[in-house]
Amino acid sequence: MRVILITGANGGLGQAIARNFLSESPDNFVWLGVFVRRENADKLAAEFSNRCRCLELDVTQPDSWKAAVEKILAEHKRIDVLVNNAGKHHDGLLATMPLNTWDSVIKINLDATFYGCQAVMTTMVSQRSGRIINISSLSAILPPPGQTNYAAAKAGVVALTQSLAKEVARLNITVNALCPGFIETDTISGMNPEERKQAQSRIPMRRFGKPEEVAAAVRFLACAEAGYITGSTLKVDGGIL
Amino acid sequence: MTQMEDVNTLKDRIKAMMVENLMLQVTADEITDDMPLFGPGGLGLDSVDALQLVVGLDKNFGVKIPDPAAAKEILQTVNTIADAVQKKTVA
Repeated sequence: MRVILITGANGGLGQAIARNFLSESPDNFVWLGVFVRRENADKLAAEFSNRCRCLELDVTQPDSWKAAVEKILAEHKRIDVLVNNAGKHHDGLLATMPLNTWDSVIKINLDATFYGCQAVMTTMVSQRSGRIINISSLSAILPPPGQTNYAAAKAGVVALTQSLAKEVARLNITVNALCPGFIETDTISGMNPEERKQAQSRIPMRRFGKPEEVAAAVRFLACAEAGYITGSTLKVDGGIL
Repeated sequence: MTQMEDVNTLKDRIKAMMVENLMLQVTADEITDDMPLFGPGGLGLDSVDALQLVVGLDKNFGVKIPDPAAAKEILQTVNTIADAVQKKTVA
């Protein structure tokens, strides 16, 4: 059995990643990390009740990570894949950005990735195997105005990924980052038609990506054949960069 | 078995664990009890090896190393590791 933990599992991307792993193999057991909202995750766990379960996890709290990892280990005694997917953005110009907006975005996108990697590291070192996939963003590489907090956090995720990959490469643990571009999630669905048209005109493929297309890339980075890929940043952006 | 034999057996187990877990290019017999584990003139381990040792000692001997200061004290030589295992056993 391969044990997989996905954070932010109630959102569109988290749901797609979970479904992709569940479809990949009946041997995959998926833990859905959820905190504020969990209705979608609960439905998915009910649909795959024998190999999918929800787990309360506040990714911004190291103690919550500790409890979550202990719960998984009590059941399965191993963690094979961690997908650090939880995140949020709260855009605004730097000149007027409240400090708590900066802090909260850094905390959920960057601090949480650090906490997650640290929480599973002893287990993966002990196993001498593991896959960590950190969801960054195209904003990390191509930062737009109004996202100083989010872009900095996601760029931090890329750098964290590269550094950690070197630390644990010899232990057969791979660490990679994934940078989605414009993906059809809640953020995109909140745009009006004019905004959608304008955004699509910036994408060489002239369409938004599907959550399933990001999920497929995550699954690839976690698969056996990707065992020699570590410290990489894979962008899924329709050719923007 | 005498106490001295016990200690020697324990040190042999520690050396065997190190060779296996750290994939060292030396045999257990080549590691002396007082050989420095880190730095020049010793076994030449690095910080990633230290991480593996911390995990291996917990897994194989139940020795928990709570912080970097304790790691620095315990992970000096096979002798210091054996001391830590024995103290844990006595405790």
